[in-house]
Amino acid sequence: MAHDDAGGSAPALRADRLGRRYGQVWGLRDCTLEVPAGAIVGLVGPNGAGKTTLLEMIIGLLEPTEGQVSVFGAAAHAHMAARLARVSYVAQDHPLYRDFSVADMFRLGRAMNPSWDHGMAQARMDTLGIPPKRKVKTLSGGQQAQVSLTMALAKRTPLLVLDEPVSSLDPVARLEFMRDVMASAVGTGLTVIIASHVVSELERLCDWLIVLTGGHVRLAGPVDDLLAAHRLLTVPRPTSDAELPGLTIHRTDSDRHSTVLVRADAARLQALGRPGWQADPVGFEQLVMAYLQRSPQTAAADDTAAAAAQPRPLAKEVTR
Amino acid sequence: MFRFRLDASSGVPPYLQLVHQVRQSLLLGYLREGDRLPTVKDVASDLVINPNTVVKAYRQLEHEGLAGGRPGQGTFITASSFAVEPESNQALRASLEEWLRTAEEAGMSEEAVTALIAVARHDMRKEKV
Amino acid sequence: MIWVSWRQHRSQAIACLGLLAALTVYAIVVSTSMRTAFSHDGLAACLTRSQAGSCQAAISSFMSKFSSMVNIAFWAVLLIAPGLLGVLVGAPLIARELEYGTWRLAWSQTVPRTRWLATKLALVTGGLVVAGAAMTAVITWYREPMDRLTGHLFNNIYDFEGPVLTAYILCAFGFAVLAGLLLRRSIPAMVAAFIPWLAIRLAVEFLLRPRFQAPLTFRQNCAHGCSINTGVGAVPPETGHIGDWVLSITNSGSQTVTTYQPADRFWHFQFIEAGLFVVLTAAALGATIWLLHRRPA
Repeated sequence: MAHDDAGGSAPALRADRLGRRYGQVWGLRDCTLEVPAGAIVGLVGPNGAGKTTLLEMIIGLLEPTEGQVSVFGAAAHAHMAARLARVSYVAQDHPLYRDFSVADMFRLGRAMNPSWDHGMAQARMDTLGIPPKRKVKTLSGGQQAQVSLTMALAKRTPLLVLDEPVSSLDPVARLEFMRDVMASAVGTGLTVIIASHVVSELERLCDWLIVLTGGHVRLAGPVDDLLAAHRLLTVPRPTSDAELPGLTIHRTDSDRHSTVLVRADAARLQALGRPGWQADPVGFEQLVMAYLQRSPQTAAADDTAAAAAQPRPLAKEVTR
Repeated sequence: MFRFRLDASSGVPPYLQLVHQVRQSLLLGYLREGDRLPTVKDVASDLVINPNTVVKAYRQLEHEGLAGGRPGQGTFITASSFAVEPESNQALRASLEEWLRTAEEAGMSEEAVTALIAVARHDMRKEKV
Repeated sequence: MIWVSWRQHRSQAIACLGLLAALTVYAIVVSTSMRTAFSHDGLAACLTRSQAGSCQAAISSFMSKFSSMVNIAFWAVLLIAPGLLGVLVGAPLIARELEYGTWRLAWSQTVPRTRWLATKLALVTGGLVVAGAAMTAVITWYREPMDRLTGHLFNNIYDFEGPVLTAYILCAFGFAVLAGLLLRRSIPAMVAAFIPWLAIRLAVEFLLRPRFQAPLTFRQNCAHGCSINTGVGAVPPETGHIGDWVLSITNSGSQTVTTYQPADRFWHFQFIEAGLFVVLTAAALGATIWLLHRRPA
């Protein structure tokens, strides 16, 4: 993991043992990630899992308590302006200045961002049928969300961060919002991080996944790779966990059989072929739900065991 | 323009659904050789899905020899021979009908037939695990 | 960024202008009749002619006509007015962004948060200085005839006819901005800023101001009776100058000792007191910027 950016483009996001403490409680701990440019990332977790904490540290709105995070190579407090220039953010509830008109909001965008694309902002308003002179508070929820999204897109950054962008919107507004996000990602290489706790909507949108529970990353990687590394096994009920290949993520027991989601490398999966056993691919939603349902204690224990089994790359000591 | 649809609750990965729809449309004659498939942007917008999914589906179609990209112009259907020759189609159809009659005479209900097909397919897929 | 700060405070600026306009209208109305009475009653001529002792009647009638309007109205309510203005403008500056979550929008643009704050503070502070100066000018002009009779070193008048008025506003503003950052809610911040501001304001006025410079003493031999005067509203005090601020009068044997601050120390005192409040303002605003830089929301 110690490779440099020399010769290749920097990853959209790199986090190294990132953590944030609020008083006695760790909102996020030991988060290490590397997300490539152009990925559309789903960040999933229950409320309070640390999604907003992680996002705000990525953007630069929050200081890490430990560890580091960089966006397209721009890290640390010293590069704050550079970091801010690379990320746009639509926060939960898409905050806007309610007394401003839409035109005022765009003027703010232009005043505060050198990379602002005013033409694009206005064009979007034309397409959506939102008159620029209207005050924000007179717009519907869906329209406000669209204005917020326009603010973010017109900033023309390579990374777009959306924090539960559609949770307060009706189904039609939801669809329109995500439609515009997907359309913006085509051809521009835009990297998008979408935080959500609605798993079902993410499958069609994301090609990269991060699952967060209890302030820790439980699963992270390209969706295809993650799906390929897991299997849904149907085994006879008496089968013990030790007999199962790889790591047991979730187990459901019936009278005579058990269904187990395991994470195992390809070799171990090939070794299957026992009588009465069946292995099926796992679906996106099943996979995510299984990880979300693991108790934090089990997850922590498994992660420590896995870390002990693998030599860990040297992490730089953080000096502040 | 050819329009795809997405069944969010089918459990089938989106990119596969797109591939299946092209295959099926070819079979039914709704897509013919030379037809242009919609752009990645159009599909991603229309279905509200990740553009990479569309790219993956189109690559899979290329891999199977059903479609190909012409630089600057888009992705076009290249297969005419995928549409199985009408004669072979009819032959398959005939053997299927005969099998169904045999199953009915053996006392299998419709549900049992469907289940049997699913299990058989399953086992065949299992061999590729 | 300047436009952004302006746009966010536009309605406050307009309200301020409205207040100023209302004040000016009131001032014009009352002051005009004051000035008319002043010249009509021959006070101007009288004062230039003699030492005021002989103008007693005219002065008394003038004062009884106008002093209530001028003094009571100013004193009770307007003691707190500069503080109110300062906290009303200052408390929401940061607190509103935190309350409504718009800080997530404002601080994720390409302008770092300290520059955002510094620009806002510079603009709003400038606006408050202009407003304060304008108010001071209007009130000074308004009171001009009366001031010729009483001078303006006395408490209630002193508070409004020099740089201290602006300094009071700025200090309340500074406290409120800091409180807004710490408490994250506008209304509690207003209260939390106003109370210490008022406490300091009163302490400075009643405990420190009389001692900015060592007071002078005036002794009178009162064997044959003295004229004792205690300031505002009365005939010019026995020290001989209009506008001297009498601090205390004590008896020492057959002498009456008057401790007072002479009228010509007005500007000196004004700058000391204004300076004190400006230093407090700078400290509060400096702390706010430093805290925002170090400790993100």
